[in-house]
Amino acid sequence: MSVPSTAQAPPQQQAGKVKLSVYTIEECPACGQKTKRAFQIGDYITKDGAKCSKCGNTAKITLIYAEPVVKSK
Amino acid sequence: MNSLLNIVWLLSFFVFIVYGQRIQIYIVANDISRALNRLKLMKDKSRKEAIDYFVGTGKTSADPATKIDEFLEYVTIMPVDLDPQGIVGKIEHITQTRDERVRSEVKRILPSAEPVKVSVAENILEIASSLNMIHKIVRHYYLLGKKTNSYILLVQLQMIMPQVLLEADALINAVDTFKMGQPVGDGIGPIIASKYMLNIPKQTVAKDTVMSVTEYKGRTLYVLKAEGPMGYVGEPGIAIQKVIEEMNVPLNAIIMVDAALKLEGEKTGDVAEGIGAAIGGIGTDKFRIEDVSSKHKVPVYAILVKQSILEAITVMRKEITDASDKVHTLIANLIEEQTKEGDKILLAGIGNSLGVGQ
Repeated sequence: MSVPSTAQAPPQQQAGKVKLSVYTIEECPACGQKTKRAFQIGDYITKDGAKCSKCGNTAKITLIYAEPVVKSK
Repeated sequence: MNSLLNIVWLLSFFVFIVYGQRIQIYIVANDISRALNRLKLMKDKSRKEAIDYFVGTGKTSADPATKIDEFLEYVTIMPVDLDPQGIVGKIEHITQTRDERVRSEVKRILPSAEPVKVSVAENILEIASSLNMIHKIVRHYYLLGKKTNSYILLVQLQMIMPQVLLEADALINAVDTFKMGQPVGDGIGPIIASKYMLNIPKQTVAKDTVMSVTEYKGRTLYVLKAEGPMGYVGEPGIAIQKVIEEMNVPLNAIIMVDAALKLEGEKTGDVAEGIGAAIGGIGTDKFRIEDVSSKHKVPVYAILVKQSILEAITVMRKEITDASDKVHTLIANLIEEQTKEGDKILLAGIGNSLGVGQ
């Protein structure tokens, strides 16, 4: 999914031998704009998110998922 | 010099013949002992995490440690199976009583906590209790093997230890996910169902289970899932039975979406389609769904998203959410190909609803 991402680093979690970063995806129901940001406690799928940066409508959290931490070179 | 070497060789030959098994017992027991220590660390960590969560959430000065220790030793006595007639009803009754008891006790310790936190506390307690039980059982066989000098008992235990540790590792890793209220891999079913329930009124159809009725391609779609964002799995068996027999909905198809344990070599997020009730657990929900669907001749279709045990109970991986599009396509195909306009279809998103609203 190629979505604009916020600069804030997500909290890291250990699952087995893999370190994971957890992200929240907010989607605007009107214009479909997607935003990827770090997961915050209290987030859940279908919860209202922030105002859409494109059209100003209230976005909804549509996904929460973890990805392996990418080591910076 | 040569004769000395011969004596040493003969002596070692004698020692290995007479004491060979004892030496092997010693090596195997040491191996199990190391694994047992790891299990003990995990068990202690989960207990501490549970206590910390209760103290942090309850904001009470009273120490919940004693109560939590009682929980960890809580036993569920399964019904006698000498006469299996009606045993599913008995198992269901016992598990429901246990769940209600645990929830009421958690609510007593956390009287003002919101439902999500109560459900998280229940899940963390369950993890701590499982690790406590695993440690106890392994320790029992380890000590029994040593006591009776039973090489066979110890070597069998040693053989299954990697799998036991894998499951224990998955459980301890799940604690962080539950504490943060994040969706787990097992929540893919509820995530799929929630997409069809957005902005539509919901009704409670069974304990911790909600349902919405919507229109989809000229069909009436009954969508159900466990109530989120709490960490519940609900009672989909009772819910489906209620829809068919109490609400008298003449269903034409049931579609169940659930997470399934992948076999080694299979990829996380692979999607499989099939027939039958896609639901895990102790078997009571599966029994109800099979019973009511066969009685009313309702076909049951299953869509499974593959994942490992670790992935199923820890934070949702991207590979699993990436399967959503394929699952939605399969649901659309099933509805279009297997039903006709005007039909009534039930879509059940099976799994833990933690972090997944509706």
